[in-house]
Amino acid sequence: MSVNTVSKDQFKQFVAALIASEPSVVGVQAKGDRFVFDDLKSADALRLDYDVSILSPRKYVMPQKETLLKFEVGGDCQSVQDGKPLILLGVHPYDMAAINQMDELFSQDEYDTHYMCRRRQITIIACDVVSPSKNVFASSMGTATVQHGYDMLLTDVGESIIVEVRTDKGRVLMNHMPAARPASEDDLAKRSAVWEKNQHVLNKHVLECKPSYLPKLLEKNYDHPVWEEKARLCYSCGSCNQVCPTCYCFDVQDVVNWDMKTGSRVRVWDGCLLENFATVAGDHNFRKNRSSRFRHRLYRKGKYVPGKIGGQIACVGCGRCITACTADIANPVNVYNQLMERTDIG
Amino acid sequence: MSKPRVAIFDFACCEGCQLQIVNLEEEIIDLIGVVDVVEWREAMSEQSHEYDIAIIEGSITRPEDEHRLQIIRSRAKVLIALGACAAIGGVNKMKNNFDFNEVKRCVYGKDAEMPHLATTTTRAVHEVVPVDFTIPGCPINGEEFARVVRELLLGKTPTIPDYPVCVECKAKENVCRYEYGEICLGPIIRAGCGAPCPTAGWRCFGCRGFVDNPNVDAAKEVMEKYKLTVDDLKQKMVLFNSK
Repeated sequence: MSVNTVSKDQFKQFVAALIASEPSVVGVQAKGDRFVFDDLKSADALRLDYDVSILSPRKYVMPQKETLLKFEVGGDCQSVQDGKPLILLGVHPYDMAAINQMDELFSQDEYDTHYMCRRRQITIIACDVVSPSKNVFASSMGTATVQHGYDMLLTDVGESIIVEVRTDKGRVLMNHMPAARPASEDDLAKRSAVWEKNQHVLNKHVLECKPSYLPKLLEKNYDHPVWEEKARLCYSCGSCNQVCPTCYCFDVQDVVNWDMKTGSRVRVWDGCLLENFATVAGDHNFRKNRSSRFRHRLYRKGKYVPGKIGGQIACVGCGRCITACTADIANPVNVYNQLMERTDIG
Repeated sequence: MSKPRVAIFDFACCEGCQLQIVNLEEEIIDLIGVVDVVEWREAMSEQSHEYDIAIIEGSITRPEDEHRLQIIRSRAKVLIALGACAAIGGVNKMKNNFDFNEVKRCVYGKDAEMPHLATTTTRAVHEVVPVDFTIPGCPINGEEFARVVRELLLGKTPTIPDYPVCVECKAKENVCRYEYGEICLGPIIRAGCGAPCPTAGWRCFGCRGFVDNPNVDAAKEVMEKYKLTVDDLKQKMVLFNSK
């Protein structure tokens, strides 16, 4: 809708105004020597120069635990939709791409009112990456920059910040930024330079094929030795799932209160690497081996989910799984490249 | 329907897990509303030989304990092992690494040969009698205890997590201890505690015991990656997971 420029001081005043006047502002900030998304208490705490957050902002669009409904045994149940207005400040392009995918997934098939109700109330202020993290490979996945999904996009071009307003929600927030002026040709050129650079430098692991080849590559390698070779060291701890911005699998549990009558049905994060992820009634586990679970995650990212969302690869190259995996086997690029070595994908 | 009768018994332990039940505070009133507690030495003076659910805290360390436990098992319809000592033997199993006479002399000095101090190999409750449900931890997680009790009363089969502590640790946005070159038992230990130790800056000490299928074969290669050894790992397991 519009592209503006503000100085860094003016931007700080904008953040302070958001915190003062908006019901809930979450921003990226330091936690020890890493970064996390958390309630933002002051403009000074915001760290838009962060490399990567420990968990992705998915924890706000799809909380680790959410109540779906309240019930009474033998009685009625009421659906719970508890979304509240929230501003998410500092979402990197690869995480924005992941949220865009989730928006598509939760609105197709059974339209998920719980997710969508919450999502509609979230305003996303994305920001281009300033400091590449040690394992990022977004450049390989085409997610180093992002074209849609956000309400506002910030690009740090040195002395100033370029603010692109994309939606009505974003336009309303501009009321807190009275000093903004329309971006000049020069500002836009600087922003393009940042994008151009990020499309190359967010690439600590280089995927040796176009992401669009992955479904075909996987189709031909279901029995490749790499699955067993890597999974041998897998702790089945699901760390790769927990930190992944595109993992959205969940478990549903009923929790009954002490009156033994009323209770709630909750949805909690699950992970396909966990031993009992695929255990069904009768205690049958159809993905018993570590290697079948290990393979499933890479198929899910590179073939199954893309089949549902028009070919978009469900790995956005954030690199979090690489950092989180104690056994150092989770790197999708290593696995896909290893498959490439002996596969003619035509 | 009459309320199920519950009896709580302790063996070799610090009784801290029972204290966690007392610590449920308001919830303890709810608990007492749905069960009839007929014996609980730490909280009341009455005793009873008739109960439906027996909750056992502590490990079995003396010859006479075995007999007492068998009697409790024969009277109870459902038997629950409560806390690390009952569930896996816990810290009491450290004794099994030493010569028992030496252990007795070290602990009791000149009284070591007193008959009531006779000691035998420490065992978890399930190593002596069949156990229906286990609530592990040192101490137990009160919330998990409350959930298991409610599910049991509802006729559901209570389950506890069979995935590693890493799941709950990552959810808390902790940085993996291994990234700092430190050993942590999290990848092989059963979750359900909410990872309080790594969240407080420690490692996982392993008090909830192993997941059903820990990847022990991976240990050597993974430890080498962090310039650690399997022996380093084994040393950390002695505290709660001695054999």
